[in-house]
Amino acid sequence: MAFRILSKCRIFQYIKNTTLHTNLRSNGIHTSTVHRDLMEFFDDKKNWAVEQIKVGRSWKKDELRIKSNQDLHKLWYVLLKERNMLLTMEHECKAQFELFPNPERIDKVEESMNNLETVVRERNEAYYKLEVGESAERPGQLVTNLLGLNFFYRKFEHLIPKFLNRQWRLKHTFNVVNGNIEKFQRLYREKLHNANRKSRNRDRNHVMHLMKRYPNMDMDAVKQQYPTVDIEKIKNYHKVRGHYVP
Amino acid sequence: MRLTDCLRDFKRVGELTKKYANLPDSYIKRSMERVVWKTPQNNPRYLPRTVKKKKYHFSDHRPWTMPFSSQNNFGDLEQKVFLEPIKEWSIFKGDRVEILVGPDKGKQGIVGHVIQERNWVIVDGLNCEIEEVSHYKGHLSMVQMKENPLLVTSEVSLVDPSDLQGCSVEWRFTESGDKVRVSTRSGKIIPIPSLAKQTYDYKTPNTYKESEKDTTEDDIKKITFSPILKTFEMEVMDEMDIKEDRIPAPTYWY
Repeated sequence: MAFRILSKCRIFQYIKNTTLHTNLRSNGIHTSTVHRDLMEFFDDKKNWAVEQIKVGRSWKKDELRIKSNQDLHKLWYVLLKERNMLLTMEHECKAQFELFPNPERIDKVEESMNNLETVVRERNEAYYKLEVGESAERPGQLVTNLLGLNFFYRKFEHLIPKFLNRQWRLKHTFNVVNGNIEKFQRLYREKLHNANRKSRNRDRNHVMHLMKRYPNMDMDAVKQQYPTVDIEKIKNYHKVRGHYVP
Repeated sequence: MRLTDCLRDFKRVGELTKKYANLPDSYIKRSMERVVWKTPQNNPRYLPRTVKKKKYHFSDHRPWTMPFSSQNNFGDLEQKVFLEPIKEWSIFKGDRVEILVGPDKGKQGIVGHVIQERNWVIVDGLNCEIEEVSHYKGHLSMVQMKENPLLVTSEVSLVDPSDLQGCSVEWRFTESGDKVRVSTRSGKIIPIPSLAKQTYDYKTPNTYKESEKDTTEDDIKKITFSPILKTFEMEVMDEMDIKEDRIPAPTYWY
């Protein structure tokens, strides 16, 4: 499979036919890993056509919090390269009708990247709160749209102020009092109420069946899991009685 | 409502199962999912809609495996399972338990498999059933023994190590603040077996063999962070000798 991946891959054929200038490669001393050009998008050769590639778990937030900014910066690019490599290998395996070994590696890398980003955001947030007095995150606010529904609007950065930006004002009509949505609002509320009511009924029926099947059940656990159900009330219902002599 | 529904489905994969898997949650969710149809993503002409299986049927197969997905085809209807709520799970892999029902009633065995989604445990070599496998036309069928699962709540009980008899169990705190299982009859602590820490990748965390790309434990534990009054970007730019003197034009957030 190894050779097949190489020879059939279009990217690789392109590399084979081109020769890079030598001075492009040797630009002084550097401490990064060995240049393998576009082949860095592919996994190591010994990992081709194997059934299983075992790797450890992803980075946790607490482990990243004790690392310096430089370390995090380097780690980000290690993870990014790894993710690119994994996605390339997955794509290539699909193209060759082969199984991609251990696809959870992609999730592990992405989880690590998410955790790393969270830690960097935390640090920036602390600096901004201390020095600037406002949040480092992208600003936003809770707004009401024309249908009377609330949602969180994430603001954008503009070069001109709002009163000059006619296009934006035409497109974004927030918090406008509109008298024509009463009927919609009523129906929408009814829909939500019905969904809530049905879910409560479903839970109550489920608990009744549970009580019928498991007479020695731990009722505290039931109350914890189904807080909306009034157990005292349903205890004497006909449905709760099981097929046994009490 | 839709969001909470799908969350509830995924939540039904037990914590112990996830621990055994040693896989990211997103992978377990991704591998379980049976999506039939999805509207094109990030396209304003379509509302975000997916048609997928909502209720999964859990049995003795692990949720991220092929047999699980072949049992959970879209449109397959399985009988509803009534699962007794449990406050705190107290039987783990490697525990010695006594069987309270069935042909092996009164016998003791070691728990080999915990299926938290169904409140089941499988006791090694006990509560077996003879099963016919590989039955083809014109061929003799093979017969094999297969352990049947037992309910944690009523069909097995943990064995007290002091007198080797079944007992009921309570979770209590020791004076040093550790949470332990205690037999209610004798008050003896029932230690959690080392097999409970076993995952798909290793038997115990100490015996895990590091692979080539793993970061070593020493590197992970090294503290390189020192607090400094700079943002992430400022410090990295200083480190790399990047100077930015240009004053950005005023912008407006709205």
